[in-house]
Amino acid sequence: MCGPLRICQRVRALSAHSRLALAFLLLSAGPDAWGGDGGLSDNDRFYREKIEPRLKLECFRCHSAEAPKLRGGLRLDSRAAMIEGGDTGPALVPGKPAESLLVQALRHQGGLSMPPKKPPLDEAIIADFEAWIRMGAPAPDGAPNAVAVATVSDEARHHWSFQPVRTVTPPSVRNSDWVRTPIDAFVLSKLEERHWQPAPAASRIEWIRRVSFDLTGLPPAPEEVDAFVSDASPAAFERVVDRLLDSPHYGERWGQHWLDLVRFAETEGYEYDRHIPEAWRYRDYVVRSLNDDKPFDRFVLEQLAGDEIAPDDLECRTASTFHRLGPVRRNAGNPDIALSRNEVLTERTDILGTTFLGLSVGCARCHNHKLEPIAQKDYYRLQAFVAATEEQNIVLAPEHVQKAWEEKAQKIKNEMQRLKKEAKLAKGAAKDELESQIEVLEDQLDSSLPTIPAVRNDFSKRTPIHVLKRGVWENKGELVGPRPPGILVPEDQPELAVDVADPRTRLARWLTSPDHPLTARVIVNRIWQQHFGSGLVKTLNDFGTKGDRPSHPELLDWLAKNLVQNGWHFKPIHRLLVLSSTYRQSSRSPSADEYSGKDPENRLHWRFSPRRLEAEEIRDAMLVASGRMNFKIGGPSVMVPVEKDLVSALYKPSQWNIARNADEYNRRSIYLIAKRNLRLPFMETFDAPALLSSCARRESSTHAPQALEMLNGRLSNEQADAFAARLERETGGSSQSFVDRAFRIALGRPPTDQESALALTFLREGSRKEFALAVFNLNGFLYVQ
Amino acid sequence: MFNDIRCHRRPTRTRREFVRDAFCGFGGLALASLLEQEQARAGVVDPLAPKRPHREAKARSVIFLFMAGGPSHLETFDPKPLLNRLEGQSRPKEFGEAKYQFVQSNAKLLGTRRTFRKYGQSGIEVSDLFPETARCIDDIAVIRSCHGDMVVHSAAQYELFTGRTVPGFPSMGSWVLYGLGSESDSLPAYVVMPDPKGALEAGQPMYMHGFLPAVYQPTMFRPGERPVLNLSLPEGVSNRERTRTLQLIRELNQATLDPSDQEFAARINAYDLAFKMQTEAPEVLDLSREPQETLDLYGVGKEPTHDYGRRCLLARKLVENGVRFVCVVSGGGAGNMQWDAHGDIEENHVRKAAETDRPIAGLLKDLKRRGLLDSTLVLWGGEFGRSPEAESGKGRDHHNLGFTMWMAGGGVKGGQVVGATDAIGLRAIEQPYHFRDVHTTVLHQLGLDQHKLTYPHLGRDERLTFVEGKVIQEIV
Repeated sequence: MCGPLRICQRVRALSAHSRLALAFLLLSAGPDAWGGDGGLSDNDRFYREKIEPRLKLECFRCHSAEAPKLRGGLRLDSRAAMIEGGDTGPALVPGKPAESLLVQALRHQGGLSMPPKKPPLDEAIIADFEAWIRMGAPAPDGAPNAVAVATVSDEARHHWSFQPVRTVTPPSVRNSDWVRTPIDAFVLSKLEERHWQPAPAASRIEWIRRVSFDLTGLPPAPEEVDAFVSDASPAAFERVVDRLLDSPHYGERWGQHWLDLVRFAETEGYEYDRHIPEAWRYRDYVVRSLNDDKPFDRFVLEQLAGDEIAPDDLECRTASTFHRLGPVRRNAGNPDIALSRNEVLTERTDILGTTFLGLSVGCARCHNHKLEPIAQKDYYRLQAFVAATEEQNIVLAPEHVQKAWEEKAQKIKNEMQRLKKEAKLAKGAAKDELESQIEVLEDQLDSSLPTIPAVRNDFSKRTPIHVLKRGVWENKGELVGPRPPGILVPEDQPELAVDVADPRTRLARWLTSPDHPLTARVIVNRIWQQHFGSGLVKTLNDFGTKGDRPSHPELLDWLAKNLVQNGWHFKPIHRLLVLSSTYRQSSRSPSADEYSGKDPENRLHWRFSPRRLEAEEIRDAMLVASGRMNFKIGGPSVMVPVEKDLVSALYKPSQWNIARNADEYNRRSIYLIAKRNLRLPFMETFDAPALLSSCARRESSTHAPQALEMLNGRLSNEQADAFAARLERETGGSSQSFVDRAFRIALGRPPTDQESALALTFLREGSRKEFALAVFNLNGFLYVQ
Repeated sequence: MFNDIRCHRRPTRTRREFVRDAFCGFGGLALASLLEQEQARAGVVDPLAPKRPHREAKARSVIFLFMAGGPSHLETFDPKPLLNRLEGQSRPKEFGEAKYQFVQSNAKLLGTRRTFRKYGQSGIEVSDLFPETARCIDDIAVIRSCHGDMVVHSAAQYELFTGRTVPGFPSMGSWVLYGLGSESDSLPAYVVMPDPKGALEAGQPMYMHGFLPAVYQPTMFRPGERPVLNLSLPEGVSNRERTRTLQLIRELNQATLDPSDQEFAARINAYDLAFKMQTEAPEVLDLSREPQETLDLYGVGKEPTHDYGRRCLLARKLVENGVRFVCVVSGGGAGNMQWDAHGDIEENHVRKAAETDRPIAGLLKDLKRRGLLDSTLVLWGGEFGRSPEAESGKGRDHHNLGFTMWMAGGGVKGGQVVGATDAIGLRAIEQPYHFRDVHTTVLHQLGLDQHKLTYPHLGRDERLTFVEGKVIQEIV
């Protein structure tokens, strides 16, 4: 079992997730469970006299509701909390002092020593604890053997994001001329409260470059810039926006945002990083849906429940690939099927909360959410919606083709079986040879027929969903059925039957009901963030009580209402935003010195926040400049040539199949394969997400390896060569027109006199290719202002 | 009003944020303003600028000698005479249960063919696989009671590097870089030197920065003479020519620079740094001018030590020049090319030890004589150990319940053994230390506090230690 085919998978059960530590502030009902001393039994008195004072003295500083920082996720200020325990498990097992971690810790056994950094307490004290536990650990807080139950506090119920979306009218403002679309009134009103002035309008050149990248991820062509600049009609701006929104590249750009959010990748990650069959179909589905301006409620429904609502509709089935996008660990060796299933369900549940609810429900997997009003039970009730969801690969080929393939595959499998037996007995070089033969055969098994990696319900295999104590799959607690989280429904709302038909359809319908307080707010906030650099609520995936408060709550509600009332279409929302005066502001404000001191993050939108292009945009913009861009839309993902050692760093290098047609190398970045274990260094360097967890907002870091990549990397140098050649072709010989055209293509504007002079001086000796490369390295190329 | 006061948030968009990040919690006002002046002079906001640790640090750098695949504790640092006596028998019940990846419950115990001897003042027993390293034992703290949660490679490797059993979280190298910044502006601050023989199960994600900004990602060294991607000029471009190009970029960028915009200034500065790296790093990376005596010390130029020796020597040069975290991987490719001795523990471990023993000893001695061992924490170990039971007759399966790692330098008290496994090496029973405790100790030696080194992600302030770890007090 040690050859290249060695299959190593986990069997051991204890997931570290089961030990979630959140050593932070608690949000819970009042800690003081014990009232007056009246009517205490002897047992309780033992607690009150011997145990409690000692806990208060030695433990509460780190292990109680009053702890400034809760340690080890453990509270010792109620019996229930001790039984619930902390990160390392229950602290108290009533009746069994030897099994109680509390006693072990006091005795400095089992790697625990409490109180920390001190010798053990007196033997007599420890003996009291043991005696108390032996009695059954009686304490007057009246919570016999209960795991702490989270009820939603009034305070949490009143949290802004759980309230219905309000109907608001745009405020009136003094400078009403500035209001182009209703959102301006909201923004300006806040500025006027402070007597601040919005920044002057950006130039038309700046604006068209900004909005082109924003809506399509591509730079405007010089001709498009010229046409816009000379378009005197009042509808000039709208014409540009409509053109961009109608462009098929809109879906490519905004599709990427969605793919980031659902951590789209085409491979399963972990050691095999197996390729999900034709996962690119889901990517194309997303791009198409956005281009069609599919209503968001429909978009959600298709992804969550495409197989339930339209089992024969391939588009809907493709949408359901959504449930296949998480990393998957495949088992071998001594397999632990239940554990693997639990991991898959965990991935599928966590992404629901993050993507649609904007709540970190994942925290409630191991215990009641310590920061948010989400009970552990709520987590598993959410999981219950996907408990019957099973993978289903839909083969898109006529039956006889499928049959022929199956026969061929069977032959390959038989042959592999035979070789494996031989390999078991072989030694040395002969063994290696056999193993590499097996690997070749295994690769042949991958090249299967056109397939949709879909899901379907199989209630005969439905996983019973238990509340898992501390998130450990073996610690099965209460069985639960599907139900939305208690903070969002009446506390006494019953669960659905575990085998209720079409469970995911019900979940989707609930999520997209017009009066859902979160769904619309969460998505319009994401749209806002992409246009303006940060959300009205900065914490895009966290609308809970510990998340950010909206900077403009009325605006958020107005947009959310607007989205729902106008049929959940994105494009009208984009128009409202990009045609606004807010969006049209320059990135330079004459009052920057004053305002940036008070609002450094520009949350009030007193100027437009410039942004660095994202990895894909930089690559795409270079390809557009060089004239090499292959604008083909959709289809199988492309693997491009990369450094050899990146491929040999794959567990199975044969997975990297470079596109046969070199034109494919120049496809838009969204069509390059999203492989979890081989990300292109260029993309990594410019903050493309890791494809392993939901990414709501790209980081934008600035560091030397980016400069090295742009200066010495293969991609930028190849494109610079082609860019220089294109400029030569298009401008004839003159350096002046060469420079002029280079700026217009790459920066969207002509050079200033000073820039021209610098460039011309350089070109007297320097090469045109180096000049082209320099242009790719300018802030004016890498940023939109 | 919009300032969210927290340590170590995202890398800096404004200088104010940066200074606050860098000095949060220290009240280091004077220092902060000093830094501010320095930054103002340079016109930069550098997320990699050195940051003060949370408390006084003992170590400045870390070298992690990662023995991929899982080296056996039973053949190396944890002698178990009883195991030899019980060879061929089933595991006695009193040792309890264990789950393995491949070995079934009916497997028989396997003794070791290695002999152990006491070394150094401390008299710690080390097997004959490591005669050279054993001579440094008085500098080494052997932790015989390590344990982790997972018994398969990928998940265990993730846990060893990131504290989580799933991919997508930042590695300790990235965390350390995030916490302390870099002391070198001409070298990458976090370097991984994979084994050129091939890949590991957990792949790149185990070394990566996860959700931390890309600036904290590792630089993966390539095999051969030019280990850093993009450090050398493209073919056909001369140094002189490129210097002019850089000059042009700088002048054009400055022509349109709005003095109030830090981000643009930072990018201009990134180009200066890139240039510095391009000119200065190759010198550090060049081993051709090392004296023969040094090369011999590491076994460079001789087989089977040449490759690992080269990389260990490179690691020394890197930390000497201010690199924060270096991971030198032994093992890559198919299992038996790692320490993953399923088939024949003897064949595998004799070979792997021969490749690494001299280079590791050379590294420790070299660090010591250069006065670098005090400030460099050297960590040795794999993602797990190996089973007391035999697999396929002469091999051992994965085993996560008790195994050995060691630390040297960086303020660690050497010449001692910490913790113990039971009499057959199955389970850590005395002073058990989990990976999280190893992580906590590494952070501790660097002056970092596991609770303060956090980063907000998906609604949580994430940190390296998922569950709170403890410092291995015996050795610090």
